[in-house]
Amino acid sequence: MTLRLGRHAFADDATIMMAIVNRTPDSFYDQGATWAEDKASARVDLVVGQGAEMVDIGGIKAAPGVEIGEAEERSRVVDFVARVREEHPGVVISVDTWRASVGDAACRAGADVLNDAWGGADPELVDVAAAHDAAIICTHTGGATPRTRPYRVEYDDVVRSAIDDTVAYAERALAAGVARESIVIDPAHDFGKNTFHSLELTRRLGEMVETGWPVLVSLSNKDFVGESLDKPVGERLLGTLAATAICATAGARIYRVHEVVETRQVVDMAWTIAGRRPPARAIRGLQ
Amino acid sequence: MTRVVLVPGVLALLPEYAGFADPVADLRAACLAAVATLGTDVEVLASGSGARVARHLLDQVPRSDDHPSYLVVGNGSATRTERAPGHLDERAADFDARLRAALVGPDPVALAALDQDLATELWADTGQLGRLGGLLGGDCDVQVTYADAPYGVQYWVMTWTTA
Repeated sequence: MTLRLGRHAFADDATIMMAIVNRTPDSFYDQGATWAEDKASARVDLVVGQGAEMVDIGGIKAAPGVEIGEAEERSRVVDFVARVREEHPGVVISVDTWRASVGDAACRAGADVLNDAWGGADPELVDVAAAHDAAIICTHTGGATPRTRPYRVEYDDVVRSAIDDTVAYAERALAAGVARESIVIDPAHDFGKNTFHSLELTRRLGEMVETGWPVLVSLSNKDFVGESLDKPVGERLLGTLAATAICATAGARIYRVHEVVETRQVVDMAWTIAGRRPPARAIRGLQ
Repeated sequence: MTRVVLVPGVLALLPEYAGFADPVADLRAACLAAVATLGTDVEVLASGSGARVARHLLDQVPRSDDHPSYLVVGNGSATRTERAPGHLDERAADFDARLRAALVGPDPVALAALDQDLATELWADTGQLGRLGGLLGGDCDVQVTYADAPYGVQYWVMTWTTA
């Protein structure tokens, strides 16, 4: 399906690198490295230079912690969105928020995508996306409350649950007026899931792709990688890339990443193997 | 007027082997320009995959005149450098120089007498060049529009026009 993310359209066979930009002092991977606005801005410059088509700006870390009110989240995100919009008109700007009010302000400042990592916790988020002709990312959390960790969560079939919930969310977005080509689904690895759930979602990602909705995967340096390989944060890149290759083979379209260059190479290689992308330049044996 | 065109049977010219970047863009342009001078009814002299290359090139360009036309597929050695498909063979440069001279001449006798054993050892595609010589009696204008070995294989694009 052709994908339209706010101001930007992508061909059916395009894959998209969505680089994570945290305006937080405490996210698990970067531990506040881009908390200062200038540092965050430098991060945007870097990832855009590395070829990222999209940035995902978040003002609240996913894990539990100090409560961040709406005003504080706005102050972290909205003006920064405006700055990125001005400095990088060609990049897709996604905002990682579950709050409709923050999403609305971000869209007014130039955001193209609302990345609802918490699976529709605020039912009015779809209305905001529709009002601004923005895209929305519909994630599966198994009903988890925002910023909670999974505790003894079980599913009869985690893939079935992910498909049912994200497709239902997508249809709710569609009914609210979000354009069909601007709705993306995300199984949300680790969110409301133990490692076995995330592994199964990776293994069976093709079933989500078969729904016809474009699929986003957010794998980067997550605990399911760390627990699979017994590696701490900071040593999970290879495992992340292995999972990325599996998801790319299945047909995921958008990759939410910390490492743009490495992920781009892996995705391109997997898509080339799958026959969805030609080689860059082929002459071996063809002279 | 009879027109004869020689192109190399480079598989990278085929669409099924296309990448984002074209590694033989200059060669392709020369081939298409030469093939465009042929008439509508073209006899192809080629062996194996060379016939596919010829057909693809012919399909790429509109042609209108009805002069007798031949498209011959062949090339020199594939042993010009250490990175060439057949690795470096010191005899290749001389072989290709003599072959070029026979083609440009044109020298039908030399083309008919090509050392096919040596051609095989040098991975040259010369199987059709003897017949090519047979088409080129009398006065003949020769144009060489491509002559290079970018991947260790000697390519030529040539056009002969006879009165």
